[in-house]
Amino acid sequence: MENREKQNAWKKLMAIRGMGQVVTVTAGLIVLCIVFAVLNPSFYSGRNVGNLLRQVAPILIIGIGQSYVLITGNIDLSIGSVVGMSCMISATLMTKGMNPWAAMLLTLVLCVGVGVLNGLLVAQCKLPPFIATLGTMTVARGVAQIVNNNYNTDAIGEAAQGYRNLFYYGSTFGLYNTIWIALVLFLGFNFLLSKTRTGRHIYAVGSNIEASKLSGINTDSTTIKVYIVSAFCAGVVGLITSATAGMGTMDAGNMYEMYAVAASVIGGVSTLGGQGLLVGTVVGAAIWGVLQNGLQFAGAPVAMRNIVIGTIVVISVLLDVVIRTGKPKKAKNNTKLVTAQKES
Amino acid sequence: MGEYIAELNHIHKSFPGVKALDDVSFDLKSGEVLALLGENGAGKSTLVKVLSGVYTKDEGEIKIFGQTVEDLTPKKAQELGIAIIHQELNMCAHLSVAENIFLAREKTHSGILSNREMNKDAAALLARLNIDIDPTTIVGDLAVSKQQMVEIAKALSTNAKILIMDEPTSALTSNEIDDLFKIIRKLKSEGCGIVYISHRLEELQNIVDRVIIMRDGRYITSMDFKDTTMSEIISYMVGREIKEKFPRVTCERGKKIFEVKSLNAGRMVRNVNLELYEGEIVGIAGLMGAGRTETTRAIFGADPKESGQIFVDGREAVIRRPIDAIRAGIVLAPEDRKKDGLCVKLSVEDNIALPNLDLLCSKFGVVDRKKEKTMTDEAVKSLSIKLVSADMDAATLSGGNQQKLVVAKWLARNSRVVMFDEPTRGIDVAAKVEIYSLMNELKKQGIGVLFVSSEMPEIMGISDRILVMCDGKITGEFAAGEATQDLILQYATKFESKYEQKEAI
Repeated sequence: MENREKQNAWKKLMAIRGMGQVVTVTAGLIVLCIVFAVLNPSFYSGRNVGNLLRQVAPILIIGIGQSYVLITGNIDLSIGSVVGMSCMISATLMTKGMNPWAAMLLTLVLCVGVGVLNGLLVAQCKLPPFIATLGTMTVARGVAQIVNNNYNTDAIGEAAQGYRNLFYYGSTFGLYNTIWIALVLFLGFNFLLSKTRTGRHIYAVGSNIEASKLSGINTDSTTIKVYIVSAFCAGVVGLITSATAGMGTMDAGNMYEMYAVAASVIGGVSTLGGQGLLVGTVVGAAIWGVLQNGLQFAGAPVAMRNIVIGTIVVISVLLDVVIRTGKPKKAKNNTKLVTAQKES
Repeated sequence: MGEYIAELNHIHKSFPGVKALDDVSFDLKSGEVLALLGENGAGKSTLVKVLSGVYTKDEGEIKIFGQTVEDLTPKKAQELGIAIIHQELNMCAHLSVAENIFLAREKTHSGILSNREMNKDAAALLARLNIDIDPTTIVGDLAVSKQQMVEIAKALSTNAKILIMDEPTSALTSNEIDDLFKIIRKLKSEGCGIVYISHRLEELQNIVDRVIIMRDGRYITSMDFKDTTMSEIISYMVGREIKEKFPRVTCERGKKIFEVKSLNAGRMVRNVNLELYEGEIVGIAGLMGAGRTETTRAIFGADPKESGQIFVDGREAVIRRPIDAIRAGIVLAPEDRKKDGLCVKLSVEDNIALPNLDLLCSKFGVVDRKKEKTMTDEAVKSLSIKLVSADMDAATLSGGNQQKLVVAKWLARNSRVVMFDEPTRGIDVAAKVEIYSLMNELKKQGIGVLFVSSEMPEIMGISDRILVMCDGKITGEFAAGEATQDLILQYATKFESKYEQKEAI
């Protein structure tokens, strides 16, 4: 009886679209963790696990934003630069003596502005998202450079200690605050995506934008919303970066847009739209972090880490393709069986 | 039958370069089924898209339930009680049946989607319509005909009073068509007005009360269905009488040019043998899913084969990929012209040149524009493709002309065998006759024509020899004279019984 209930729960879980791949990838994650633990037992020390999770958090946050955009069938290349912009603007404002919390809010508003711009370019001006966000990526990086006259900022100082603790150094109930921020954002955005009308419309737009429009969905506003989410997430990551370094760095968030794509795609979010779960993005980001951290622990040089991680990204997408297109091959084998039976 | 529920007066609508609707008026009463008829490009789809808010009119007046409506949008039309089932399937393939039915009208409790309630309501709706589908199924996993039924259910779920169906039956099986007609009759008795667009004129007699005929973007006439005849309707649609529906030319049967021996490719092509002689058209009949398309694709090398030999003019041709087939002189005009047949975003000229670049390029791979232009001009002329300019996108051509273009690109190279897969699907009566004449022309030139069609009258009217397929096998062969619809159908449903299979093991 209990067994059947368990089976039902499992069935229910697997009935969620895309959960299959999440489970597969999670299995991969567990294997990775075991391998690294064997290679170096201190991988599992409490301190390293805490650090690891804190490393993963920004990748997860920015991955959530990118997943939103990918599920609508678009892409946001600007988010790495928005991280840089957020880092530089927040730090510059604080070094100029602005209250850290006011600086934080203003920074987030400006970042969301980039999201609105991206959304308008893609939804209303019908620009291909790749090109539109390539443009805003360059512009946002330029803004990051210009805010402090092409210099990294000085230290943001004593007044911002509370801000630095909130985003990086402090901890609550034994977990670093950065991890809590990622957790809260994940729960909120996961709820929005899976339980609300807006979330349903995001999947619908990615699945078939024409059908969505004809059903009466405001597809333009849906598209703008996802770009706002991704820019907001990037803004938060930028704040974490400035809190971490205690200053603004102009090249902060460099390549983050690609890390975000990687976390999403490893976790099973389809780059063609209509498909993907944020739980997958969590696992994808975790794999990313475990590889970075584990390879470092195992003593692999940076170059080696890049090669391994890049290969893993390609393999995970390849696996997805093989799993999906593998179906017809199976059917064919069945036919061979049928014909073979007949001959006998 | 009651008052007018939808009236369109003097509607004009232009697209860049085309006047799609020119002073068209249209009305619909409650409790009637109105057939909107006309050839492809007559403006039927544009008209119903104006009525459902997809397109905005340039000029004219729209009245819904007696009220003049400005700025109609899809959402507003839906709220007014207008539902449309579009010609192309418009579903979100990644979402479930229930999610699609309630798309943009999701039920929520304090902002949270109530999936359970929507699934329950969808199940009730499907049950009421006698559609046997689980509402939690992902739409992309359903067969096309089931998807179409879901689309119909979705339109009905809005409790629409004005229901527009644009070619609703093209993907349905006959049982499903029966069910659909039952639904339509029921809606009619409830006082709904239904606009029905279809090329399948023979269906109309089962349900239609009145017809409105359009031609070249204009309103032609409106008639009560019982006062008219099919040939009258067709002559209004075409603007002239069509004398010969199936023109036939007789040729001397020459030598064997093409032979397929025991071809196997997957479940849908099993031990297929066929021969083709000079001066004949061979038709392949069968039900949907009988393996006809798969056979043509396997011959052409588009799908992998497991075994089998192919001979052209007595020499064996080894075909692994389409390029091998093309070199051997076998070409295919596929079923889905927009998807498989043409690059719709490229120009007419590019499309014709595409498979012939080997002939058009210099030694260094540079395209000879002059040769390209000559080739295009010749092809366009010999097939009388109607176009403004060869620089235009292939997408801008009408269905019939697109079909000719698919054939045109192959005729520039001296092919020996031309395979047509459903060449007349979705094109109008006049264009069909032109396609038939084209096939006859090929036949006269001694080119072998293999021709797959689901329309029996067409198969019987055009082919010299008919092969019938069922379940991946050729189950029968008839000369043109001896085939009847009943006979073909009998062989088309000749499934192997499970019992025999057991015995064989």
